[in-house]
This record gives sequence, C-alpha cells and structure tokens, in this order.
Amino acid sequence: MEAYVHGDDAAFRALFERYAPILLRLTRRHLRDDELAEEIVQQTFFRLHGARNDFRPGSKLRPWIMTIAMNLVREHWRRAKRRKMTSLEVDTQAAPEADLMPMELRQRSELLHVALEKLPTSQREVVELHWFQERPYAEVAQIIGTSEGAVRVRAHRAYATLKQLLVLEIRGDE
Amino acid sequence: MTGVDDRPEDQLAQHLRELDASDAHARSERMDELFTALKAECQKSDRTVAGFLRSRSTMARRLIVLGVFSGLAITGWHLFPIVGDHARTIQWTTSLVTFCVLLLVAMIMVTRPVHLPELPRWQSVCLICLAIGAPILAAFWPYPAAQAATHDHGGSVMAGACMGVGILLGVPVYALLRLVDRGNAFGSLVAAAAAGVAGNFVLKAHCSVPGTSHELLGHASVAVLFVLGLGLVHRWMPSR
Repeated sequence: MEAYVHGDDAAFRALFERYAPILLRLTRRHLRDDELAEEIVQQTFFRLHGARNDFRPGSKLRPWIMTIAMNLVREHWRRAKRRKMTSLEVDTQAAPEADLMPMELRQRSELLHVALEKLPTSQREVVELHWFQERPYAEVAQIIGTSEGAVRVRAHRAYATLKQLLVLEIRGDE
Repeated sequence: MTGVDDRPEDQLAQHLRELDASDAHARSERMDELFTALKAECQKSDRTVAGFLRSRSTMARRLIVLGVFSGLAITGWHLFPIVGDHARTIQWTTSLVTFCVLLLVAMIMVTRPVHLPELPRWQSVCLICLAIGAPILAAFWPYPAAQAATHDHGGSVMAGACMGVGILLGVPVYALLRLVDRGNAFGSLVAAAAAGVAGNFVLKAHCSVPGTSHELLGHASVAVLFVLGLGLVHRWMPSR
C-alpha cells in the first residue's frame, strides 16, 4: 500500500489481485448478484484510490478495505429499500456458479443462503467477517464500528439462529 | 485468526464451510477486465478537480474547506455592512456562533474518511433538523425596540431579496462540500444543510430588517429550500 501511495501503479494491481477475490466473495454472499458484487468491489477500490493519502505507514490495509466495502453494501441496501425493491427480486437471483456445483451441494448452499438472509443485517455482517473472512472479533468491531462485546453477542445470536434455521429447513425438506 | 472457542459448533461449521466453498470461484480474466475498467475510472477521476480534491488527505481537505469558508466570511464581513450596533445583541451573537458550529460539524461529517464505519443515520438526521430548526428558532427571538423602530413595514417585503441572496451564497458552500466528499452516506443532504446554515449566517450578520415573518420567509426558508430541494434531487437521482 505504501508503494501505491507513492505512485507505484504495479502496487495497485497487486493490491487488487490480492483483495478483489476476497471482497468479491464477501459482496456476493451479501448481495447474491454477481454484477452488483463486481460493481461494489470496483467502487471499493475506487474509494480506496481516493482515500490513499489517508493511509498511515504501518497501518493494516484489510480493515480499511473491508470497512469501505461494508459501507457500500449497507448503502446499497438502504437505496434498495428506498426504491422498495422486494426481497423476492433478490431471492430469484441465481447463486454464483451454480451450474458448476453438484445438485446436493447446490441445495445445501441454497439452504444456507436462505438462512443467512433471514439473519438481521447486523448479525449477518458479523458472521461474514468472523466466519468467512476469519477476522478476529476486535477487527470485526473496528470494521463495523461497534464494541467487541457487541460483536461477540451478535455472533453468538447469529450462530444460534443459523443452527435453528438450518435444523428447521432440513426437517422441512425431509 | 479466529480462536477455536469462538467458532460455531461442528455441524454448523461444516455447513458454513460448504457455503464458502461454493462461492470460491473468481475467474482471472474477469478480474483483469474489472481492473482495467477500475484503472480507467481512477485515471479519469484524477484528471478532474473533484478527483484531485477528494484524493487529498482528510486533514488537507478540512483545511481547504476551512480556508475557503474563512476567506469568504472575512471578505463578506469587511465588504458589506453588518447590522448596526443596536442590533448586535446576545441573541444575535448566539445565532452566529450556533450557525458557525453547525457549519463546522457538517464540514467534519462530509469530510469523514471513507475507511471509517459510516456514522449512524440519526446523527445526520439530527444535524439536518438542527440546520432547519436553528434559523426558525432565531426568527422567534424578540428584537430590541430600537431595531424594530428602524423599519415601519411588515418585514416580509424584503424576504424575497434575502432568500435570493441566501441561496446564492449557499450554492458555493454546497459545491465545495460536494467536491471534497468522498461518498459518505447522506453527504449530499448534510452539505445541503450546511449551505442553508451558511446562507443564514451571512443573512443574520448583514440583514438589519427585523420581524419574525421576514426571518421565516427570507432567512429560514433558505435552509428549508436547500434541504428539501436537494433531498428530492438526491431521492430521484441518487449519485453512484
């Protein structure tokens, strides 16, 4: 990042190659729309480009990028809500790369997506960052702008709810 | 890394791993396309005034805004006559200080770095309400008898002129704040509120026409028009 701040274009590409796939997975799970997820990833890097002079040597870049992306995802949901976009529209989007997945895996993935979508946004963000991105609670708290204790509570509730939802969904399928 | 004790139980963990695996596809050629488009967008932005200002550090952006605001205020203060001695009351000073503080808070909110979690929505809403409420409250404060005696008309006669001047002065404030805004949520509305407050600051400092109706129609309306007008624009034509 320091090289990029000093005008090294190759460093920008290296940053993109390193973080874009991570962000793409994060945003796809939140939005379930490939095109939108890619746009948010691009927008995240565009904002990072604008904010590069705020970067202090020795700081961690990952929380920066994650925070920008999460802010954009929240902004998207807020706008979508304002436009009265129904959840049905989102639900009907195909899961990423669904055609390449075996049927059973696709069904399970679908179940999990549905369960994750039933979580409140604040809990889903925590699961996303804590589980899928493997960020420690302290960093998750920094990214979403709350205390570590609150993050722990949200994670505990989210995992309990997910477990409950999955049991119900699996029983329902049987 | 996440501690073992923090992780969910085995069965749930297994399900989550499956979901993670199913989402793990990212094609390199698509990533190249994305990067090329991003690079072009960044280069295009770097060539614009807004791109140049937004890419300054937060400290630099705040100093630029403060410098421009101070310059405008000092120039206006000396070029145009401020209200007479009889109108410079405690209420008048309090109003000016309040408008200054609101303007400063709005500037800090608009220039907030994007790598920090966005501010809770209620804070922006609160500032916008205060920006509209403060001029309305100021309009209801009683005037000194000496000032009231200087004008024998209803006060609403000059309201149109004050409103025009207020809007005219608010536009550069709004434009500057939008130029340094990196895309904060509600940035447009907060900038609109700041423009309304800036207009009111100037009108309060220079307009000697007394009367609640004049202040409501000519001064407070500036903040209301900015917030409502730009709020509607923002709602129908949201920026990217």
